[in-house]
Amino acid sequence: MTQAQKSYGYAQLEAVAHEMRADPNMVYYYEYQVPVSTLPNGEVLDLRAEFGEPRTSGSGWPIDEQWIVGAAIGAAAAGSKAIARLPSMAQLYAIEYVYNQAGKIRSMTGGQASMPFVLWVDGARRGRGAAGQHTDVGAEAIYANLPGIKVVCASNAYDAKGLLISAIRDPDPVVYMDYPEVRGGAQPNVPDEAYEVPLGEAAIRQAGSDLTIVAWAPATVDVVRALPQLAEAGISAEFIDPRSLKPLDVETLARSARKTGRMLVVDHGHDSNGFGSHVIAEVVQEVPGTITRKLAFPDVPGPGSAEMMSWLRPDAPKIVDAAKQLVRA
Amino acid sequence: MIEMKGTVDRRTLLKMMGAAGASGAVFSACGVPEATGSTRGVAGAEFDKSIRLATAGPGGNKNWQPGDALKFLPAENIPTRGPASDALASLPKEKLIEMYWRMNASRKWESTLKDLFLGGEDGLYGAFHPSTGEEAMAVGVMGALNDDDYIASTHRGHAHLIAKGGDLNKMTAEIFFKESGYNRGYGGSMHITDMSIGIMGMNGIVGASYYMAAGAALHAMVRGNSQVAVAFFGDGASASPYYFSAVRSCANQNIPCIFVAENNFQYMAVPMARTVPTKYVTEYTKGLDIPHYLVDGNDVSAVYEATSEAVEWARAGNGPSVIEGLTYRWYDHSGFSGGRIGEDGASNLPYRTDEELRGWISRDPITRYRRWLAATDNATEAELAEVESATQRAVDESVKFARAGTEPAQEGGVLNTYASAAATATQFYNRKGLVG
Repeated sequence: MTQAQKSYGYAQLEAVAHEMRADPNMVYYYEYQVPVSTLPNGEVLDLRAEFGEPRTSGSGWPIDEQWIVGAAIGAAAAGSKAIARLPSMAQLYAIEYVYNQAGKIRSMTGGQASMPFVLWVDGARRGRGAAGQHTDVGAEAIYANLPGIKVVCASNAYDAKGLLISAIRDPDPVVYMDYPEVRGGAQPNVPDEAYEVPLGEAAIRQAGSDLTIVAWAPATVDVVRALPQLAEAGISAEFIDPRSLKPLDVETLARSARKTGRMLVVDHGHDSNGFGSHVIAEVVQEVPGTITRKLAFPDVPGPGSAEMMSWLRPDAPKIVDAAKQLVRA
Repeated sequence: MIEMKGTVDRRTLLKMMGAAGASGAVFSACGVPEATGSTRGVAGAEFDKSIRLATAGPGGNKNWQPGDALKFLPAENIPTRGPASDALASLPKEKLIEMYWRMNASRKWESTLKDLFLGGEDGLYGAFHPSTGEEAMAVGVMGALNDDDYIASTHRGHAHLIAKGGDLNKMTAEIFFKESGYNRGYGGSMHITDMSIGIMGMNGIVGASYYMAAGAALHAMVRGNSQVAVAFFGDGASASPYYFSAVRSCANQNIPCIFVAENNFQYMAVPMARTVPTKYVTEYTKGLDIPHYLVDGNDVSAVYEATSEAVEWARAGNGPSVIEGLTYRWYDHSGFSGGRIGEDGASNLPYRTDEELRGWISRDPITRYRRWLAATDNATEAELAEVESATQRAVDESVKFARAGTEPAQEGGVLNTYASAAATATQFYNRKGLVG
């Protein structure tokens, strides 16, 4: 058994490998992110070697995101399950084609065309040193705004594999957000076989009664840091990770809000029109009277300086503060 | 008057007539015959700046392997005769020494920062894409520009900034993310900018330079002056659709923008053979009748000569040119893995050979320029040695300056996004700090 030591990256490639083995027409296109991963026992998973070109991008494709995304969408329209993977600084490079083709083709063609397409978006992090274009988080909100597009956002290796498999099997375009910050730390066991984490199903990470905290990757990292401090302060927090942003499991969120009456949403994306705002809007419509608060990254490009960045990040101390305010409200 | 030899198409002829009296000879080095590596300029003279080609290029050869770039190495010394050498030698001696100063400052600045990153005592963090080994491109291009011309740089642009006259103190302080840095701690290495001397910035996005430079060149046209703009890019970025788009439109509208490819044969760990389907980047656009130059990018005289012609062509209202220099980065894509304190170059990288690196180091653009300066009696040994120690002193001073700087205020995080007022920051729910 290799489960316990499977890395996040390996789990993801395993998902792609399962589906590519099952479907000889499936393709996986990427730029420089060569799909090779190794288990601690030395076992190598090399999709490039196993499936070759043109089912993969081999040892790399040109720095042309429009091509990578466009080629995958065209292949998907013709009937291949297709993944296109974008680098973290190019999360929106090909959004026009996703918006106008991938998301609309089924509707525009009266249901003739299918779009079994996955846009695998490498995320960035709210961390020091990169600045501006390499620190962006929250593209999930932009994609979720597009008609015909689904969006998932994994926060551990088990969900990553299961969500990726569900996304590949889904006949509609799914944006799979892949944030680096959730890759570290202790990971749950990842089974060797293929399994699905269904789209539209939230996970209750911790049950509680005083307030509900909602966060998805990578804000889950900060919530997990905050939870012990909240417990120490005598606050019983329920922590929900939606995992799938669109479709969103409003039912699970609303059930929790009915129980606790208070909801804190933590979002590393930008404040205005971020996905956190949508979560609150949905919950308050279902459960009027819920007392809500949102912690989001302000509407600024991420600065390079560590001092400025840590001050801006919706981190554990800010979560603890906000939760305390909320339970007193 | 321009002497006409050979045949040119009508559009080229019209352009040349437009440039008559102002422009020198126009050379096109694309489609270089393999046997000789030289081509006839459309206005006469042999084009002898291109590298002689013994084999198919890395793009033309689908089996190109790391190490094959060695085959494209030019001779150890740069020529001290011929049009490129003559063009450089026509500059005043002070200018030639200044170019040597800037090449050395660039090298020593990056080497010193490399030692500080690897040493760790300053706790440096953030991205750093070394341009070590590519200094002749930056200095050769900038030698042909005026202070008020524009450049749009890449993520690998430290040498561009220093060659354009960038302030070492402010550059180092930005690497330290200090308030005294060029970008006041907001940007770091990938975004260093000096609008006051036409440096539109380094850029974290591959292929972002084309429109920046072309737009600046349009701005110059709108104002009716003779400024030009240079867009730097690499072999990797030539794949960007923005590239074709910008070159086409500049050609269509005679926009004074010069596209300078620093072809170092690889993007990250991906060899050029996988991304460039032609032998050279310059061949992409050879259907456009604009000047194309293919030069030894480690020869500052060749880069200077090509650029000065392209600049003259652009200032005379004839539009864009494409210049490709073949060069090599001595370090990894980003950071200093495989690098050592007190030594230049990164060895043991998995995607290329040390032999290839050593080959390019033996054609160090700075050493070659040094030999040229001495051989052409433009500098004495004592003058050269003085530049070398003076640049190291300037770099060391810049480190002191950076260390003495203050950290930016945290609250700055919500300022500076809009021209006035702070960005909304609802996350500071009952917390101190929201400014304005």
